[in-house]
Amino acid sequence: MSVAGRGRGAAAVAFLSPAMLVIGLFTVVPIGLTFWISLHDWSMYTALGDMAWRGLDNYAGLLADSSFYNALANTAIYVALVVVVTVPLSIALGMLLYFPRVAGKGLVRAALFSTYVIPTVAISIVWGGLYAPEYGPLSQLFGAWHPTWLSAPDTALVSLVIFHLWQMTGYYTVLVIAGLTQIPGDLYEAARIDGAGLWRQTLHVTLPLLRRTTIFIGLVAIINAIQVFDPVYILTQGGPAESTTVLSFAIQRAAFQHGLAGQASAMAFSLLLLLVALGGAFLAVVRRRSA
Amino acid sequence: MRRLAQLGLALVLIPALFPLYWMVASSLKGPQELQRIPPTWFPSSPSLAAFGEVFETVKFGQAFLNSLLLAGVATLSVLVTSVLAGYVFAKYTFRGREVLFWGVVATMFLPPVVTLVPLYWLVSSMGLADTYLGVLLPWLANAFGIFLMRQFIADVPDELLEAARLDGASELRILWSVVTPLLRPAVVSLAIFSFVFYWNNFIWPLSILQDDAKFPVVLALSQLLSYSTSVHYQNVVMAGALIASLPTIVVFLLAQRVFVASLSRTGVKG
Repeated sequence: MSVAGRGRGAAAVAFLSPAMLVIGLFTVVPIGLTFWISLHDWSMYTALGDMAWRGLDNYAGLLADSSFYNALANTAIYVALVVVVTVPLSIALGMLLYFPRVAGKGLVRAALFSTYVIPTVAISIVWGGLYAPEYGPLSQLFGAWHPTWLSAPDTALVSLVIFHLWQMTGYYTVLVIAGLTQIPGDLYEAARIDGAGLWRQTLHVTLPLLRRTTIFIGLVAIINAIQVFDPVYILTQGGPAESTTVLSFAIQRAAFQHGLAGQASAMAFSLLLLLVALGGAFLAVVRRRSA
Repeated sequence: MRRLAQLGLALVLIPALFPLYWMVASSLKGPQELQRIPPTWFPSSPSLAAFGEVFETVKFGQAFLNSLLLAGVATLSVLVTSVLAGYVFAKYTFRGREVLFWGVVATMFLPPVVTLVPLYWLVSSMGLADTYLGVLLPWLANAFGIFLMRQFIADVPDELLEAARLDGASELRILWSVVTPLLRPAVVSLAIFSFVFYWNNFIWPLSILQDDAKFPVVLALSQLLSYSTSVHYQNVVMAGALIASLPTIVVFLLAQRVFVASLSRTGVKG
């Protein structure tokens, strides 16, 4: 159908403008502004005209700053751990919740998914209680290993990863189940006739046909993990010893707590470039594979 | 095999629900019990006192109303703007449509922190820092809603629209009385998704608001936490967390089926 007649062109413009105006003004324009601000010194609380031009100095500063590499490395470790565990775990749980005819599947699915709707701030606070040294049940349960959880630099980031997995796995599992429903049942029938057991059915039917879902989950998991902010703010403030300072926390802190909006914007724009590069590489790989 | 699967399900359920149990149990304990080492697994003398203290320590009642207002208005606006834009992307053809649409979709993958500083600048240079309207402006439309609505409106048969046009109905009339009634499940799930998303959103209100009378409930909760770091206040903090979570849990339980079904079509948590 095409926009024919006088009325519809006007309707198209009128219907699109509210959404495009909001997204344009508050998402697209700020992307350009992030780059602009990153070329300046700015304290956040003075007029934008008071910014001092720095050229690419903020970027040079970042490259010479070990705390930037620390935030970058923490983010990379966090994202990598989340993705490496999330993808196989949610596939396994999805299969467990989809295939066997057992009681209580709906209940388990609802319970798993409920963790996704609760405010991250609220549930971070609960995990703060779970992880508490001595008073916390997790310190009690795993007492034999003397776990330090959030209170030592070696374990704090991993503890945040465990929290993230607990919160988000149910969501990815639901996506896996949606993918599993798309696999035709007669494929399993045929595999069974050929004498394939559970293991070979999984390897030769389920996993290959779940490929698109798997790629999608991996992508969404990366995007979600890169954005992590709330639990860092609530539970660790980037500590102990900067061991949980991830990029999004470093950016918000530099701008809103330290008044270093130029440097924060340089970090933000670097993150954007990194994402675009990752996205491009990702698309290239997917295209080549399907070609 | 089936036994094994049943056991597996039970093993999943325990870690999934234990933190929620711990939130409830801790909120019911008294200050003395909270300081016990090892911790008690069940509250020895459950009390609701902590729930009252939440409202005395910070402006939690006000914050709850603020969240209802902010998430409610944002949700209404997202519904309207998404249905309107989704209709155009699904049913009109014009030059640059695909580029514009996928450009909008690409913004779903943009971490909010990338644009946080200029967003603060934009809103505060409009004189709207530390106001409800300032919080709301960037929330009035989102790419996810447009994407979801386009997917669903594309399934509406063109013949229905043509028939209405032949009867002389205006485009707005067609959208309102022909298209929207067919979208009910999609609209319900978008409403739920938006409400939960904006109710939970923390980083933007944290960055733009100063005055605690305007805080949404997640900010009030963070404030409550900073006033009550000592372990014997943990019942108060947990009670606050429970109250802040209740609306999202209720909404989820009421509409779990629709929510899960349509989230399967796409989604990113911010």
